[in-house]
Amino acid sequence: MLCSNPQQKPDWNAYALAEMTADARREAEAHAATCAACREELAMTRLTLDAMSTLREEEVPRRIAFVSDKVFEPRWWQMFLSPTFAAAALVAVAILAHGFMQTGVTEAQVQARVDTAVTQAVSKAMVQVNDQQRNLETDVHVQTGLLSQVLYKNSGLVR
Amino acid sequence: MIFRDVEDPDLIAKARKGDVEAYNLLVTRWEKRVFNYLLRLVSNREDAMDVSQDVFLKAYQNLPKLDDPQRFAGWLFRIAHNEAFSLLRKRKPEGDLAPDDLFGVVPQNANLLPIELSLAVESALKRLTPDQREAVLLKVYQGFKFDEMAEILDCPVSTVKSRLYTGLELLKVTLGPQMIRKEI
Repeated sequence: MLCSNPQQKPDWNAYALAEMTADARREAEAHAATCAACREELAMTRLTLDAMSTLREEEVPRRIAFVSDKVFEPRWWQMFLSPTFAAAALVAVAILAHGFMQTGVTEAQVQARVDTAVTQAVSKAMVQVNDQQRNLETDVHVQTGLLSQVLYKNSGLVR
Repeated sequence: MIFRDVEDPDLIAKARKGDVEAYNLLVTRWEKRVFNYLLRLVSNREDAMDVSQDVFLKAYQNLPKLDDPQRFAGWLFRIAHNEAFSLLRKRKPEGDLAPDDLFGVVPQNANLLPIELSLAVESALKRLTPDQREAVLLKVYQGFKFDEMAEILDCPVSTVKSRLYTGLELLKVTLGPQMIRKEI
């Protein structure tokens, strides 16, 4: 069966798929009211879509791996691009640079510095000990002198 | 639909700022639709599952490039389309159907039960070319508008309609006898 007015024939697929404007739908319905061929075509299109609706959605057999899962973890080389790695690398470079700045001092120089420091400390300590000994001797002389004077005084030998 | 108190664009904004849970929620919302679209398109459950996984991984990696979060669905299906056709191109030699296969699977002489009609539809869909099948899937099963389909498929609306209408005509021819018997 053919459409009675092929030039005015509506797009029945667009009609059935709800892709027509309200005005176009009204015109299409008016056309179908007078055209048996178009009514049949529209019925067949709707029947096909109804049949297709019997195909149900299937459940996902297993869940899609989430971002927090291992599959979403970056590959080893992508770790180098992460801000955390960049910050850690910066700190490591700073430590290394500081280490290089200190590498001008050799072990012998360090030992010499330690020896000098020890010598200075010992010398200083010796000076202090000597001073204390000298003071002690002075005190003894003074104490001895005073004691002699007392003895002389008590023996009446003092004038 | 569950969890609809938070809209997709909000979740996308959070995911862009590193909120992994927000993206996980997006995956939960869309995985079934994407999986079913891919399942009908590639006609293999394991392949559909693998491609679904790839789609969501690529979507996550490219989320910052999504210009308009309101159009997430079309953007996601665009990625799914690319991944599916990448797979179909790889397996094309064995995926091509011989002409003799065209009417060999759909049962022709039975009063069909709903489950049988469903199998007949599944089989009829497989008779279409991948382009036609995809147009039917996006329109009939995913409910996209013609202009959205044109964006997903990266082709003019006229091409979308041509593929869809040809697919529907072939489905009418293939399913017609079963549907008429069922009506009777």
